[in-house]
Amino acid sequence: MKLSIYSLKKILFAGEAMLLNCQTMAGEITVLDNHESLIGVLTPGVIKVIDNNKKENFFEITSGFLEVRQGNEVRCMVD
Amino acid sequence: MDSPQNIKKRLKSIKNIGQITKAMELVAATKMRRSQEIALASRPYAFAALDLLANVSLMEEQKSGLLEKRNVKKTLFVLVASDKGLAGAFNSSIFRKFESAFSKTKTSEALFIGVGEKAFNYLSKKNLNVVKKFTNVGDYTTTQQVKPLADFLAEGYLKKDWDRVVIFSTHFRSALKQESRIREILPISFESIQETLMEIVPKTGKFSNIVNVSNVNGQRSNVDYLVEPSTKIVLADLVKHLFFMQMYHLILEANASEHAARRLAMKTASDNAKDLGQALNLQYNKVRQGAITSQIIEIIAGAESLS
Repeated sequence: MKLSIYSLKKILFAGEAMLLNCQTMAGEITVLDNHESLIGVLTPGVIKVIDNNKKENFFEITSGFLEVRQGNEVRCMVD
Repeated sequence: MDSPQNIKKRLKSIKNIGQITKAMELVAATKMRRSQEIALASRPYAFAALDLLANVSLMEEQKSGLLEKRNVKKTLFVLVASDKGLAGAFNSSIFRKFESAFSKTKTSEALFIGVGEKAFNYLSKKNLNVVKKFTNVGDYTTTQQVKPLADFLAEGYLKKDWDRVVIFSTHFRSALKQESRIREILPISFESIQETLMEIVPKTGKFSNIVNVSNVNGQRSNVDYLVEPSTKIVLADLVKHLFFMQMYHLILEANASEHAARRLAMKTASDNAKDLGQALNLQYNKVRQGAITSQIIEIIAGAESLS
């Protein structure tokens, strides 16, 4: 899936990813390929991203939004 | 004519001033570029958030909180100026704009906030009802510095302390041109947010071509989103966030303008110092030459009287 993680300072991640794991207000969720369209509010914690090279990336956040769009595209806006 | 010693002294001090203003000019130029870079870095984030807001507001039509339009009883005026002086016409143009706009409003219906030491001084000198001041925004704006201001504005609006917020700030058109602008930021309209986001990039110059890089598609998708926990909470959070971002951009823009104005003022100052230095140098040479001539005349006169 196409994943982009933006923060106010810079673009944290942009590219293809296999897995995205994050904490939302409704609990911890993991987004895989072809996830259903979803909008969520992120809570403080660590976002885990595994990109297509099986490399793990971690981002610490304090707040943010998650949007899973149609067409296998995921966007995160974090602080 | 002045004595050569006096001229020499003045020449020296002018040279020093020229060096100082030259240094300040360079510093301001670098800071201006940095401010612009910071604004650009937050651009993708802002557009993604706006896009999301458009999607969410499609689902939840009900307008509440910061989006709600009320009858205007009290208006809050926010003046964004600088902490430090020596920035040319930067502060005075804001104040002039404010005066011409404010003359129509009654003082009893207005509240004021000064952002920057100069704005606060100006408002308190006029004996206006200043609610709060925000200073030390600093050279490079960070989110932590803008947060208190944005929170304060939003909270007061929700508590109905004021029904409208008008902000006076400087719009950064290019490194050479800045304009003071009046913007209504509360209640929030999406158009005004979008406008603010677009504005920070100058029409000409180094950063002007970056506008097209970020992809904003205006088309709205009619997808059924699964919203967690609820549209209402997401919308409230998102709106608050976007408001904060708009404030952030406004302050950034004012910051970039301040540095640009200072750069220009300092450039003029160092040019003037250079001109003055040249004129004084000429005068000094003339005086010196005069002194030498009169000494030679004295010597010749003395020699002739002896022979």
